[in-house]
Amino acid sequence: MVDKIKVNNLCCFYGGKEVISSLNINVVKNEILSIIGPSNSGKTSFLRTLNRMNDMNVNFSRKGNIFLDDENIFDMNPENLRKRVGMLFAMPIPLPMSIYDNISYAPKRLGIASNRNMDEVVEKSLRDSSLWDEVKDRLNSSAIKLSGGQQQRLCIARILAIEPEVILFDEPCSGLDPISTAKVEEAMLKLKEKYTIVLVTNNVKQASRVGTRTAFFLMGELVEIDNTAKLFVSPRDKRTGDYITGRFG
Amino acid sequence: MNFKLNPKLSQKIAYAVLFLSTILVIIPVLIIVFNIVKNGYSAISWEFLTTMPKDGMRAGGILPAILGTLSIVLCAIMITLPVGVCAAIYLNEYAKDNLLTRIIKLAIVNLAGVPSVVYGLFGLGIFVMLLGCGVSIIAGALTLSIMELPVIITTARGALNSVPYAFREASWSLGVSRWQTIRHIVLPNALPGIMTGAILSIARISGETAPILFTAAAFYVPHLPKSMFDQVMALPYHLYIISTQIPNMPKNIIFGTALVLLMLVLSMSLIAIVARIYFRKIRKW
Repeated sequence: MVDKIKVNNLCCFYGGKEVISSLNINVVKNEILSIIGPSNSGKTSFLRTLNRMNDMNVNFSRKGNIFLDDENIFDMNPENLRKRVGMLFAMPIPLPMSIYDNISYAPKRLGIASNRNMDEVVEKSLRDSSLWDEVKDRLNSSAIKLSGGQQQRLCIARILAIEPEVILFDEPCSGLDPISTAKVEEAMLKLKEKYTIVLVTNNVKQASRVGTRTAFFLMGELVEIDNTAKLFVSPRDKRTGDYITGRFG
Repeated sequence: MNFKLNPKLSQKIAYAVLFLSTILVIIPVLIIVFNIVKNGYSAISWEFLTTMPKDGMRAGGILPAILGTLSIVLCAIMITLPVGVCAAIYLNEYAKDNLLTRIIKLAIVNLAGVPSVVYGLFGLGIFVMLLGCGVSIIAGALTLSIMELPVIITTARGALNSVPYAFREASWSLGVSRWQTIRHIVLPNALPGIMTGAILSIARISGETAPILFTAAAFYVPHLPKSMFDQVMALPYHLYIISTQIPNMPKNIIFGTALVLLMLVLSMSLIAIVARIYFRKIRKW
C-alpha cells in the first residue's frame, strides 16, 4: 500500500472560523476513499484544499501541509497541481461548447495532445467514462443539451483527458436520478484501476457501494476511518454508528 | 376626522399615476422626433448627404460634418474599447479587494460624473496644447475616449460578471491558467455584452458637443479631412453653429441636420438592440 496523498495537521479557516481542525489522513494509491458526514462537517472544504481551489477564496487560510507523492502541494504551481489532481463538482458544469470541444479544451490549453491525436484522446476519455456509445454520433452538438447524468459523465471524461493521477468527486450524484447515479458509480469503479479517487458524498449507501475505505467527518474533525466493510458493520465510534444508521445528520 | 381611502379607489389612483408617469416619458420623445422629422425631411436628399456646404452653409450639403463626426467617433472607440475592456478584465478577474482597487473604482465612478465641458477643457489643455496635437481629430478622439472610459469599463464588467463563475471554476479545476480561462471561456461568452455596450457608447459620443468644442471641431473647413491632425466639422457642433451663428439660415437645413444626427444615433442604438437579441438567441447556456 503506497500513500498517494498524506495530510499533516491540516487546519482550514474561512474568515477566521475554523472549518477543519488538525486533520491527519492519508489516501492510498488506487483506492476510492469515501468521505461521509453531515453538512458543515468540512468534507468539501477538505476536497477543495486538496487541489487548491480554495486559493481563489480570499477569506480562506490554512495551516499544516499536504503531500502528493512526498511533494508539498503548497509549494507547487497550482495549475500543475490541478493538472495532476482533477476535480468533479456537485453540479455538472459543461462548458458552453460542443461535446468534442469540452473534452479537447484542457488538453489543447495544456499542450497535452497535438491536433492529430486529439480524436483518439476524445474517444478514449469518453469510453473510459462510459459515455461514448451515447454521444459518438453527435460529438459536435452542444454539451448543454445532454441530460444531467450524461453531463456529469462528460465532466468525468473532461478530467480523464488531462490524465490526472488523483480525481476528487464532490457529491457527484447529488442532482442525479438512481439510474444516472449507477452509471457514474460504475464509471468510478472502473477508474479506480488507474486513478486514485477521493469521493465526498452525502449518500451513505453510495459510500458503502464504492468506497475502498470510508472516513467519517463531523464538525471539521475526522472521527473515524476504516475499510468500508468494517466501518459499516462495526464502527468503533458511537457517533459513526449513529450517523450511518440514520439517527442524525 | 378619520379619513381613509377606499382600497379599490386607492388602487385605481395608484395605477393612474404610474401609468401617466410612463406616458410622460414617451411624449417628449415623440414630440421631438415628430417636430424634427416634420421640419427637416424636406432638406434630406442624396445631395444633402454627399456634398460640401455652399453660400456660407445656407445651402449645399453636410458631408464634411458627417465624415468629421464619424472619424472622431470611430477613432475614439478604437482607443477607449481596448483600454476599457482590459481594465474591466483586470478589475473583475484579477484585482483583489484592497485599497488600490477601491481607489480605482472610486476614480471610475467620479470620472463618470465629470461634466462633459470639463473634459473639453482637459482635452484642450493636455492633448491640444501640452501634447501638441492641435485642434484635430486625434485630440477630439482622445478627449471623447477618456470621457467614455468609465461607461465602457462599467458595461464590460457587467458583461464579464454575467458569465457564470462555475465556468471559471470548471476551467481552473482542469489546470488551465487564469489567463487562458479568460481568453477562451470568459471573453467569448462576454463578447456580446461588451459589443452592445460599445455600440451604445458610439451612439452616445456621436452627439457630444462640449468635449470636441475646443479639441476637434471647426466652424467651417473647405475640404474633407485628410489626416488625423486635421480640424474637422462635426454634426453636433455644426448644428449649434447653423442654428445660432448664421443669420437667415433656412429652417429646413437646421432640422435636416438634426434629423441626420438623430438617425445616426438611433441607428446605432438599433444595431445594439438587434445584436443583443441575436446574441441572446445563440447563447448556449
